[in-house]
Amino acid sequence: MTAAGPRVLLLVPARTYRAADFLAAAGRMGLDLVVGSDGALPLGGGPVIRVRPGDPEAVAAEIAARCGPVAAVVAADTPMLMLAAAVAERLGLPHNPPDAVRNATDKARQRQRWAAAGVTQPRFEIVPAAAPEDAVRDAAAAVGCPCVVKAVSLSASQGILRADDPAGAVTAAGRIRQVLGARRSRDEPLLIEEYVPGPELSIDGLLDRGGDLTVTAVFDKPQTPDGPTFEETLLVSPSRLAAPTLAEAVRTAGQAARALGLTTGPVHAELRAGDRGPAMLELAARCIGGLCSRALRFPGGRTMEELVLASALGQPVPGPGPGRPCGVYMLPVPRPGVLRAVQGRAAATAVPGVTGLTITIPVGQRVRPLPDGDRYLGFIFAEAGDRGDVETALTAARDRLRVVID
Amino acid sequence: MTDPAAAVTAALERSIAPTVIARGAALRVAGVRDGVVTLEVTGSPGAVYPLAERIETMIRAAAPGITAVRLVAPGPGPAGAPGPGPAGAAGPAGAAGPAAPPDPAGDLAAAARRILDAEVNPAIAAHRGHVTVDGAADGWIRIRLEGGCQGCSLAEVTVRQGIEPLLRARLPAMTGLADVTDHQAGPDPFFSPEKR
Repeated sequence: MTAAGPRVLLLVPARTYRAADFLAAAGRMGLDLVVGSDGALPLGGGPVIRVRPGDPEAVAAEIAARCGPVAAVVAADTPMLMLAAAVAERLGLPHNPPDAVRNATDKARQRQRWAAAGVTQPRFEIVPAAAPEDAVRDAAAAVGCPCVVKAVSLSASQGILRADDPAGAVTAAGRIRQVLGARRSRDEPLLIEEYVPGPELSIDGLLDRGGDLTVTAVFDKPQTPDGPTFEETLLVSPSRLAAPTLAEAVRTAGQAARALGLTTGPVHAELRAGDRGPAMLELAARCIGGLCSRALRFPGGRTMEELVLASALGQPVPGPGPGRPCGVYMLPVPRPGVLRAVQGRAAATAVPGVTGLTITIPVGQRVRPLPDGDRYLGFIFAEAGDRGDVETALTAARDRLRVVID
Repeated sequence: MTDPAAAVTAALERSIAPTVIARGAALRVAGVRDGVVTLEVTGSPGAVYPLAERIETMIRAAAPGITAVRLVAPGPGPAGAPGPGPAGAAGPAGAAGPAAPPDPAGDLAAAARRILDAEVNPAIAAHRGHVTVDGAADGWIRIRLEGGCQGCSLAEVTVRQGIEPLLRARLPAMTGLADVTDHQAGPDPFFSPEKR
């Protein structure tokens, strides 16, 4: 793997699912990779720059000085987004404005920006951290019940609870503040928003340097729960939604990205197709999380990570193309305890259509379900000639697994 | 009569290719001879080698008559040929004697083992990690990560930015490096992945 292609700075957080896929993509593309990471490695060899947490301006200056000329800066995952923007800005490379990245990582700021831009979204109220219970009760009444209470800084469905009445919202808020307290984030406000019934979908895309969104994947989420917690489980692509609804969802996602100020790079948007049309739930300035992108294939066998790197280099990006239906089952943590085993893996992978199973939490580790936890046990992947067959395969494989926690 | 290469290709496309491609590699049937399928691996070897057993099982089930599967890297010589190594480069152990049959794979593995033990393992011990050489064939070296490296979210960075450039610089006969670690089984990774 002799690299002769463009030099790219890849910023990799120490804790991520995404490092291997980005490195593999860079290898396939023949890129000359420089890695920056806060999980500094004890080896020499290829360029690896130590990234210290905090003081992004100073770190950006150090990285810019040490990495040499690069053609693009790419964040492999959310914790590196701000730094990637700062480094790219310093190097004069295309980047998202740091404020836009900040908007995309704070659910309250998202709601405010979208409200100002007229983006379709649930009714919402923001309750300050120190607000009394009455403020929570009033906010729930204002948006209407059932409602959803959310921490504004967390992801992976962590710190999100549905409440069916204002009193339930008070209870949910207290519970979420416990979650935030465990993460020493007690000072952040809570978001209380209208619960939007209807099919949920996610849209992945890449913003070109003019802010136009090229869709790379749309996943339906056929088993999205109604609450009280919102585990993601089944994702199937392409979407079954009617073309006009889908087009409206894509338009809404693009509008939402631009309203946050995002101008370039990957976007992962989550929406619900409610009575008033597709409504924005959340948006992140990265591609789909976890290992979900491994379910996808693009023309020429390219991966999502290759498209992200190509886009960062200003190369044209293909759309999803007429690939076979595919899907992924994210395995939620069913109960708290210590993970002892995930049994039945061979039987699960033997299900026709299943193309892979990855367990991502080592045996022996303590696990917590939502709303406290922020991890999934693993991912099952499938591909078939029909979306229904993908869903059937994933569900059958899941049913063959037995998770032992005590 | 069914063309065995076509049958294997169809089986790959049907079953294993999506997983391999999604993980950053590709497989091509380079040849079938005497019941042995030779598959050429391009892209990330770590996407393929951990699946070797599954690939062989699947192919043998789909194509009766196939008795074995070989995975090879693309090289200048005919893929799958059991003859001389692709580059014919002298191993680091020095010139081969005239009588003893050379074992370039063994030399390569031994040389890699010496380098890893001397220069890599002392360093990654700081992360409770250790790396061993699993073997070598056709210029490819297979390594296995242990301890804190097994299942670490930055293991691929260690392999691709640390170990691979070091071995490439020291071992001109090396054409590729495959990480054959079962990272899912790592009980104590130094950096645990988390969904973000």
